[in-house]
Amino acid sequence: MLPSLMYTEWLKLKKSNVFPLVWISPLLAAVTGYFTMFDSGANQWFDPYFQMLLIHAVLFLPMMAGIFSASVCRYEHQNGGWKQLLALPVKRSSVYLSKFFIVMLFIAITQLLFFIGLLCVGMLQGFTDPFPWGMMLTRVFMGWIACLPLVTLQLWASTAWASFAAPVALNVILTLPNILVSNSEKFGPWYPWSQPFLGMLLGEEGDFFYSTQTLVFVIIGGFIIFSIGGLLYFKQKAV
Amino acid sequence: MEQQLVVKTTDLTKRFHGVHAVDNVNLQIPKGAIYGFLGPNGAGKTTAIKLILGLIYESSGSVTIFGKDLKREKLSILRKVGSLVESPSYYGHLSAKENLEITRRILDVPKSRIDEVLSIVRLEKEASRPVKGFSLGMKQRLGIASALIGNPDLLILDEPTNGLDPSGIIEIRELIKQLPEQYGMTVLVSSHLLAEIDQMATQVGIITKGKLIFQDSIDVLRKKAVSKILIKTNKAEKAWRFLLSAGWKGTLSDNNIVFPGMSDKKVADVVKSLIHQQFEIYRVEEEKMSLENIFLEMTKGEQTL
Repeated sequence: MLPSLMYTEWLKLKKSNVFPLVWISPLLAAVTGYFTMFDSGANQWFDPYFQMLLIHAVLFLPMMAGIFSASVCRYEHQNGGWKQLLALPVKRSSVYLSKFFIVMLFIAITQLLFFIGLLCVGMLQGFTDPFPWGMMLTRVFMGWIACLPLVTLQLWASTAWASFAAPVALNVILTLPNILVSNSEKFGPWYPWSQPFLGMLLGEEGDFFYSTQTLVFVIIGGFIIFSIGGLLYFKQKAV
Repeated sequence: MEQQLVVKTTDLTKRFHGVHAVDNVNLQIPKGAIYGFLGPNGAGKTTAIKLILGLIYESSGSVTIFGKDLKREKLSILRKVGSLVESPSYYGHLSAKENLEITRRILDVPKSRIDEVLSIVRLEKEASRPVKGFSLGMKQRLGIASALIGNPDLLILDEPTNGLDPSGIIEIRELIKQLPEQYGMTVLVSSHLLAEIDQMATQVGIITKGKLIFQDSIDVLRKKAVSKILIKTNKAEKAWRFLLSAGWKGTLSDNNIVFPGMSDKKVADVVKSLIHQQFEIYRVEEEKMSLENIFLEMTKGEQTL
């Protein structure tokens, strides 16, 4: 059942205007990465990477998580899609999961494009330092994992609210103070909108202090709580 | 008479904030029937249908479909149920074909079914155009196509002719009428218009204010249409007094002597004795109470605009 649902989810999303959005963040990040102004003296590849994070992980990644989540619910809210879909022989949990997987897939594609963007920047700049594969891949992957609580939270809001704009607007508002909250040792790891950024920094000694352990613990905990809450809500939702 | 029931609800009740939207409803829909589910707007038809489809959950009572409990065997039941609830549901940015492909894929039926149902509702020519540009009638037909695609045993259509033009209404009605014999389907069709149900249903359920107030075959409903006999004579009042004295208790209205539902024999006797008394009889008429009137009578108190 799940593969069929994911296929239909893909059909619905493919024709909507969401897909081109995966390009925006990696593209803008790569442009700023190309014009990196600072030189930390460490491996060359890290300078544009951190520059790119300020655009991608601080701003766009959490926003995209919200937009993708709202998008997979939008066409169901608009013209009675929920009624038609849930009157078919499908488990509500499978419908929920298929939407969750599709959103995570879109975020994975965004992360992949970001990674490719970084490679392009380095090649265009003619970096001579060896590319730190392990460290970079871990960070991009951690950024993806760190989206889990945010995506499940946004999916919960998007299934509950018939409006597309409301959850997206709320998400944007909560994304904006990101850089401030991320600075806080205490609150940073607990704030779902900061988690993607902190995940992609991953224990970097610098201006941001937090414990990686706490971060991983909070991400897993948040993910479990929000997905159970969202699922329970969706299972009893009246359509 | 142990008829096989396709849908059976037992004391089905749904409360919204203390208000009974559906109140102890016991629907019984026999196999092969076209069940006309009738009631004024807001009477609880759509709520009852949503309960039957498991789109909302009952406050109390239960739903049995194909002899199986909806709660326990929801998926296997829904596989054999096609539905169109309230206004048509569709994905506006997709074409009719793509909309059907989504339903087809989930139901896992052959691809050829898409063209089959498109031709049943005559949408072949519009199949590749985004549905958001469709007229309401076309969207409605697409909804019916989508409900039919899985070859359901039970078809649930909520106000299927809403928003259709007269020729569209006739088309859909003819389509619904042939489903039981051609495909062995059982059909539940709701409407707030009795005339529409009258032309296709074999069974009727009337709901008002959440309560099922009538449920039987359409013939039984028709029999409720009591008739009146109207007799017009040259001297209405004199004739009426004479008949009263002879033991026939009628009423006088508009220079007509009116008797509630009389047998043929009685009518003959009345006429015969009037003629004996030299009254001239101009007309003997039967006036039937229309189904529409019965319906209004039954659902009285329901404010309509």
